[in-house]
Amino acid sequence: MLILLKGGRLIDPVNQRDEIADLWIENGRIISPPPGRIPDQAHDLAGKIVMAGAIDIHSHIAGGNVNTARLLLPEMHRAMREAELPFSTAKWSTFETGNIYAQMGFTTVIEPAVAPDHALQAHLELADIPIIDKAALIVLGNDDFLLSLLRDGESRSAVADYVAATLTTANGLGVKCINAGGAAAFKYNARTFELDDVVPHYGVSSRQIVQALQQAVEDLKIPHPLCLHTNNLGIPGNVTTALATIEAARGKPLHLAHLQFYSYGDEGDHGMSSAAAALAEAVNKAPNVTVDVGQVMFKQTVTISSDVLRQFNGASSAKPRKSVIFDGDANGGGIVPYLYQENSFINAVQWACGLELFMLIEDPWRLFFTTDHPNGAPFTTYPDIFALLMSRDARAQAMSRLPEDAVAMTTLNSITREYDLNEIAIMTRAAPARLLNLKDRGHLGVGAVADVAVYSPDKDISKMFRFAHLVFKDGDLVVRDGRVTHYRFGKALTVRPGFDKAIEQRLARYFDHHFGVTDNLFAVPSHLLPHDEPFQEVACQ
Amino acid sequence: MVEARIDGKPAGIDAAVKRAAEILGAARFPVIAGLGTDVAGARASIALAERLRGAYDHLGSKRIFADLDVLRQAGQFLTTPNEARLHADVLLFVGRDLTRVWPKLLERLAPAEKPELALEPTARKIIWIDAGAVPAELNGLPLVTLDAPDLRSALALVRARVAGKPVAASGEETKKFDEIAKILNEAKFGAAIWGGETIDQLAIEMLYGLLADLNKTTRFSGFPVGAGDNSAGVVLTSGWMTGFPIRTGFGRGYPEHDPWRFDAIRLIESGETDAALWVSSYSQSTPQWEKDIPLVALVAPKTKFGREPQVVIEVGCPGVDHDGAEFARDTGSIIARAASNSSGAPLASAIIARIAEQIDGAV
Repeated sequence: MLILLKGGRLIDPVNQRDEIADLWIENGRIISPPPGRIPDQAHDLAGKIVMAGAIDIHSHIAGGNVNTARLLLPEMHRAMREAELPFSTAKWSTFETGNIYAQMGFTTVIEPAVAPDHALQAHLELADIPIIDKAALIVLGNDDFLLSLLRDGESRSAVADYVAATLTTANGLGVKCINAGGAAAFKYNARTFELDDVVPHYGVSSRQIVQALQQAVEDLKIPHPLCLHTNNLGIPGNVTTALATIEAARGKPLHLAHLQFYSYGDEGDHGMSSAAAALAEAVNKAPNVTVDVGQVMFKQTVTISSDVLRQFNGASSAKPRKSVIFDGDANGGGIVPYLYQENSFINAVQWACGLELFMLIEDPWRLFFTTDHPNGAPFTTYPDIFALLMSRDARAQAMSRLPEDAVAMTTLNSITREYDLNEIAIMTRAAPARLLNLKDRGHLGVGAVADVAVYSPDKDISKMFRFAHLVFKDGDLVVRDGRVTHYRFGKALTVRPGFDKAIEQRLARYFDHHFGVTDNLFAVPSHLLPHDEPFQEVACQ
Repeated sequence: MVEARIDGKPAGIDAAVKRAAEILGAARFPVIAGLGTDVAGARASIALAERLRGAYDHLGSKRIFADLDVLRQAGQFLTTPNEARLHADVLLFVGRDLTRVWPKLLERLAPAEKPELALEPTARKIIWIDAGAVPAELNGLPLVTLDAPDLRSALALVRARVAGKPVAASGEETKKFDEIAKILNEAKFGAAIWGGETIDQLAIEMLYGLLADLNKTTRFSGFPVGAGDNSAGVVLTSGWMTGFPIRTGFGRGYPEHDPWRFDAIRLIESGETDAALWVSSYSQSTPQWEKDIPLVALVAPKTKFGREPQVVIEVGCPGVDHDGAEFARDTGSIIARAASNSSGAPLASAIIARIAEQIDGAV
């Protein structure tokens, strides 16, 4: 099938294009204009905006903790509308997730916190998300095996082999570390855990764990740098932890997830202020660091985190008042429903912190667009956040509804920057593709995967991004006028770093001795997933 | 040779699938019950229920909702058997039939071994509330038992003494509760294991309250032994497909969850449902309803019915006849279970998919 997208405004920062031009698609790829050929399908896109499909690097869309949240909160997601496609209106289902992402022009989404022992469930869930491609980051850093390697002073290569073997079994795209050592320490009744605190029984500090994993990711040449959720998330004054963590990276690649949640000072009458400006400055000066924001929006949501220590401490603020605290084999996690309110001082500061980070971090190639779905806000709020980024007036209007003393604890009022569509395209397309080494995504050049989103410009920016005019996935037209027309099922992206297979025997002995089970139990066999060839490998660098 | 019957007479599988599709396709509001099947079988069943605008339920619903209702009304502290085995210095068992529900429970927890990851590994202390006959594996271990004809009040009394509150009990009884409360309060990382027929929702909620209280000063978590027939795996699958657990219906074209309305037995006895698909591939369980309605049964070989269903197709057992993804109590997660004795017996998921294809074809 030869497809012509005629006369749209192509916004393609990778290829430095922002111009009115035609785009040709054949066999799922973008091709050079084929002289003399008649397209099988042509779309007149005069006045429309054409971008590559968007890539979300951090959204909790699958896995044990997400599913527990679904079961914890049946009242939060009652369906109301008859389905046109199977389960398409079943709120918060995997199917609805794929539908909504596709409607917004997103074609690849990364689930950033899959426990190795829940990898099969996570991949079963990911496989039931239609249309988009997806991937899992695998959580390490509170697991007994790793902590024991570090305690025993084992070699760098032993750590790398273990990380690679675990990633391979779990079919992950990268490594996530969540409050390194904090969940393990919580099992010994620690109630706080700092960067230089030591996990009892192992004598290993959080800093050592982070640095060891960072090194392993680098040694294995995994494209996505270690994705780190720092200590002390959500606590006033935690900016010092974030700044110390950036220092601790020692100039090596590090991705800080949902930075907004560590951007708090402890000044003012409420003991809570924005320190986003200082943190943004530190990020600007650290070219080895990439970040995503984790923007807060004022809505009912549920926080889903493998930082079980943080979630336990936050459970007293649950709304509705119930929570699940899970001491898992390594991280576990906590599910705590939460209501972000405009009239809450703390929530208003959090909201402003996120926007300050968006505005004050200068390099859109190192700054990623997230809400840490659903922790800061559900991903369905993305269009509203694009509007806030692109319009100073929209921000001023939103700020006018917030407590004045909260706004005064931030610098947001003084910021005039407005994102343009090129910056949006970098942040949501080009930069994520580069971060993940997805050379054929995030741009519209010849040879790229034909994941294409077409938008109708509108004064209402959120409307423009909520309902794409057209979306192509692998060259297949799946969204028309903001509605999904049919399902197709994408791949889960994985890396397969090489490693010394001797670690596999060692892991088998470990599982047998410690758990009395075979480690094969945690395998993710393709034939048990519902679609053929469920995985697609991404090259290590 | 695949065993199938139509109206009690041996039939080919194609004919049986065709007849099943006719019965279910013609129904006004069919229910899929039993659901003793792996993740693929649950997935196919829930998709068929949506297609037919019917409802679905699991044969272990009563036990499932005892735990799930507490979780979604109050919350829960949960851990895994691995963590209990490696960390727990105190094991708190609640319920007399835990090892009947899960025969490998004590083997899995290895209570006689010291918890390897404890800071100072010492012999575990074990409390068993409503123990019944104490399993032989615990002979010689530091064990305190408490008879509890009424689990709710026993747990309430223990909880009160853990919090240092007075209780209305005899001196001797109070001494016993205090002995237990002391062990619980002094635990470094305790694990409660509960379940079976004698513990109901209110008792589980009281246990949750006890865990919440204990976690104010120390660490205590736990896990239920749950129900069989991959009930937990089916609930999880239902969770991601529809947002809701079992007892969900699609009469309005979108999922609605109501544990009373979509109770399969109630739906059938009340006449709201006019045909049923029964799936039981792990055990020879049969429907527990009385009413005679058109029934298609996908069941383990040699299942005996009080009343012959219209269509019977024998299916394989996941993890035995074929590979399957299912919830494993051993790990507290969905795992890949390889066939232990691979056979050509059909997969429930494949038969359900064929029935669905026939129905789609007829539309």
